[in-house]
Amino acid sequence: MAALLSEEDRKYLVDLFNKELESEVKILFFKSDNKDECQYCDITQQMLDELAETSEKINIETHDFNGEGELVEKYKVEMIPAILMLDKDGNDMRIRFYGVPSGYEFSTLIEDVIAVSKGGEVDLSEKTLEMLKEVDRPLKLQVFVTPTCPYCPRAVAMAQKLAMKSPYIQGEMVEANEFPELSMRYNVSSVPHIIINEGAGEFVGALPEDAFVEQVMSVLKGA
Amino acid sequence: MPMFNLSGLSNEPKEKNYDVIVVGAGPGGLTASIYARRAGLKTLVFERATEGGQITLTNMVEDYPGFSSISGEGLAEKFVDHAREFGVKFANEEVMEMSLDGDLKKIKTDMGNEYTAKVIVMATGSNPRKLGVPGEEEFANRGVSYCAVCDGSFFKDKEVVVVGGGDSAVEEGIYLSKIASKVRIIHRRDKLRAQKIVQERAFKIPNMEFIWDTVVTEIGGKDAVEYVTLKNVKSGETSKLETSGVFIYVGLVPNSELVKDLVDVDQSGFILTDEHMETNAKGVYAVGDVRKTVLRQVVTAAADGAIAGVDLTKYFD
Ligand SMILES: Cc1cc2nc3c(=O)[nH]c(=O)nc-3n(C[C@H](O)[C@H](O)[C@H](O)COP(=O)(O)OP(=O)(O)OC[C@H]3O[C@@H](n4cnc5c(N)ncnc54)[C@H](O)[C@@H]3O)c2cc1C
Repeated sequence: MAALLSEEDRKYLVDLFNKELESEVKILFFKSDNKDECQYCDITQQMLDELAETSEKINIETHDFNGEGELVEKYKVEMIPAILMLDKDGNDMRIRFYGVPSGYEFSTLIEDVIAVSKGGEVDLSEKTLEMLKEVDRPLKLQVFVTPTCPYCPRAVAMAQKLAMKSPYIQGEMVEANEFPELSMRYNVSSVPHIIINEGAGEFVGALPEDAFVEQVMSVLKGA
Repeated sequence: MPMFNLSGLSNEPKEKNYDVIVVGAGPGGLTASIYARRAGLKTLVFERATEGGQITLTNMVEDYPGFSSISGEGLAEKFVDHAREFGVKFANEEVMEMSLDGDLKKIKTDMGNEYTAKVIVMATGSNPRKLGVPGEEEFANRGVSYCAVCDGSFFKDKEVVVVGGGDSAVEEGIYLSKIASKVRIIHRRDKLRAQKIVQERAFKIPNMEFIWDTVVTEIGGKDAVEYVTLKNVKSGETSKLETSGVFIYVGLVPNSELVKDLVDVDQSGFILTDEHMETNAKGVYAVGDVRKTVLRQVVTAAADGAIAGVDLTKYFD
């Protein structure tokens, strides 16, 4: 199969990772070989393989969604293709990509790799970091996206940055087209659409950091 | 168009002081940044969404010279790569506050960071204008959309309407006709404003229909959009039309909230400039869609950016 990454992008990533990556990043990839069950697993696998070739510090571990129930359970993987990242000590950084992180979402994946390799170092305001200390219960942020939506990566990045900074928060990208039933359940028809704790809260649109955090915190307070 | 797009990567600026700060990474801002960099100025571009600006919201661009046909995303990526190549820095932050008086302008972002620059270029572009009818807000994420490339795929094999008669309405209608089972364009006049070549193409599409002299007066439904109510502006007749999606392209509002009390703007909020793109505040420029101008396109935004990018060098002589 032809390479997914252009030669230019590949070179760009090699340079970027050379400069930016500190410790190792382990990417866990859950898939199924059954095409009916997972139309996009192959392409995700290939993309990850090409990504791994751009730096020695990126390691991909592929797992069978159906055959490795224990791991699936441990990381609470819900659907496939699924990508999650562990830091050098094997800690789950609480970020998930469900569906191919293609189009504009690819940048988010790359930024996550860099952040994870720096032990979860992300740029958030002091105010946000203060607010995150109040989070004392699990918060699942599912950001529904389409690969052609230019407003979406920022919402995914925001959810995942919060996840890296709070042990209670999980930040997920969900490619809406690949999971139509889930999208339908939440009535997703405009993206980014953010679902908090299975519908306890939701909002649509890429909001600035303050407003995003406020939406998330309001669910915590309301419940 | 690459399946995996890297144009959204920011190269995390740790440095807080610049010669030139550009707010908005659309064609206007990116062009200004390229010219400023080529003049040797330290230049930072802020972007709150994805680098490339509004042009990423369209499937195909056919009127930017040099490219007879290119995807909006592809063209945007070329602009971004070009700027990167010349050493423009990017920050994925939303500018929230500005102080523009004095020689050193100050900027505050949503991440709580503060930056300074001698010159500011406002290239914040525009946003879709709302229709302003009942139901529009209520169904804003339940079938009402302002971005066909973002949301079109949710309307596969469904019927949708597009409101408007300009280039964007018709072009995005054409895009939707490949996904939806039927596209009806609702326009308040009896002919389109869109470019002739676009019109001709649209009239040939079998699953595309036009409803002339008609305005949408309400968007309704239960959990999601189910219908629009229409009013014929000539006969006064009203009717109800079933639809799953409403795509709205009825003009633009300038993203000038940040500065509308700091520089001169017209009644609609478009920023006024002189022929060098400079506003009434010294060292503050405005380019592209956010500026009061007669044509809002990629090529004109880029042209504005070039003029500003050259003129602003006078502050560094
Ligand atoms: C659907 C559609 C189809 C179009 N088709 C064509 C076409 O075929 N040909 C053509 O020539 N033109 C087309 N246009 C018009 C063209 O996209 C615009 O004229 C052009 O993008 C304007 O460029 P700009 O740089 O002024 O602003 P924009 O492209 O709007 O860019 C402004 C950027 O600033 C960012 N921003 C705003 N406020 C802030 C802030 N406070 N902080 C940080 N960032 C901020 C925004 O996120 C945005 O990315 C189309 C537009 C649309 C919507």
